Amino acid sequence: MPALPITNCIRRLRFEHKEMTQQALADRIGVTRQTVNAIELCKYSPSLEVAFRIAAVFGVSIDQVFRFSESKR
Amino acid sequence: MSQMSFREKSAWISFVVIALVFGVYFARILRVLPRALGGGGDSIHFFFVLGAALILFEVGLHLAIKIQSPQEARTPKDERDRLIDMKATRLAFPVLLVGTFAAIFTLHLAVSRGVIINVMLAAVVVAQLTRFGAQIVYHRRGF
Repeated sequence: MPALPITNCIRRLRFEHKEMTQQALADRIGVTRQTVNAIELCKYSPSLEVAFRIAAVFGVSIDQVFRFSESKR
Repeated sequence: MSQMSFREKSAWISFVVIALVFGVYFARILRVLPRALGGGGDSIHFFFVLGAALILFEVGLHLAIKIQSPQEARTPKDERDRLIDMKATRLAFPVLLVGTFAAIFTLHLAVSRGVIINVMLAAVVVAQLTRFGAQIVYHRRGF
């Protein structure tokens, strides 16, 4: 399947935040661990609400978490 | 199996149980089809026995995975789960539609009521298998 045009650096951000687990992040943003995993692997593009929640957990702006890459379309 | 989410396990259980139970049912129906075409079908008791087996297997296996991961079972569906449900249902609907028209078509054939009912039942079963199968694929592959 074609890669999604939205990439992210959640894995790095988790690492920088005391190696936060996928489950811990999932619990804080109100989704399942499998959804966090799918977002990290760019298999699923989250809703704007979840994207903002992820950014809020890491204390950064949304564009520091997600990138839109036109070439992947 | 442990890497699967509760929803994916649930979809696998429903897919396998429906495939097995109705596989057995329709295998028997096809064996007695010549008699059924003449109106002599007696599959109703068999249907209820298998229906009870389906409920028992579904409830029992779902209880088992609920005990295995109680916290996840209590967690409401998130946005991805809901999207997967919707996409899978959208795929299953045309299957059900085709099956329904097939059942309507059999009304015009000289067959018994039992055959028509079984065509309708087959449509529902194939649509459900499509729905759960699509859920499994979407959970595995992502989208």
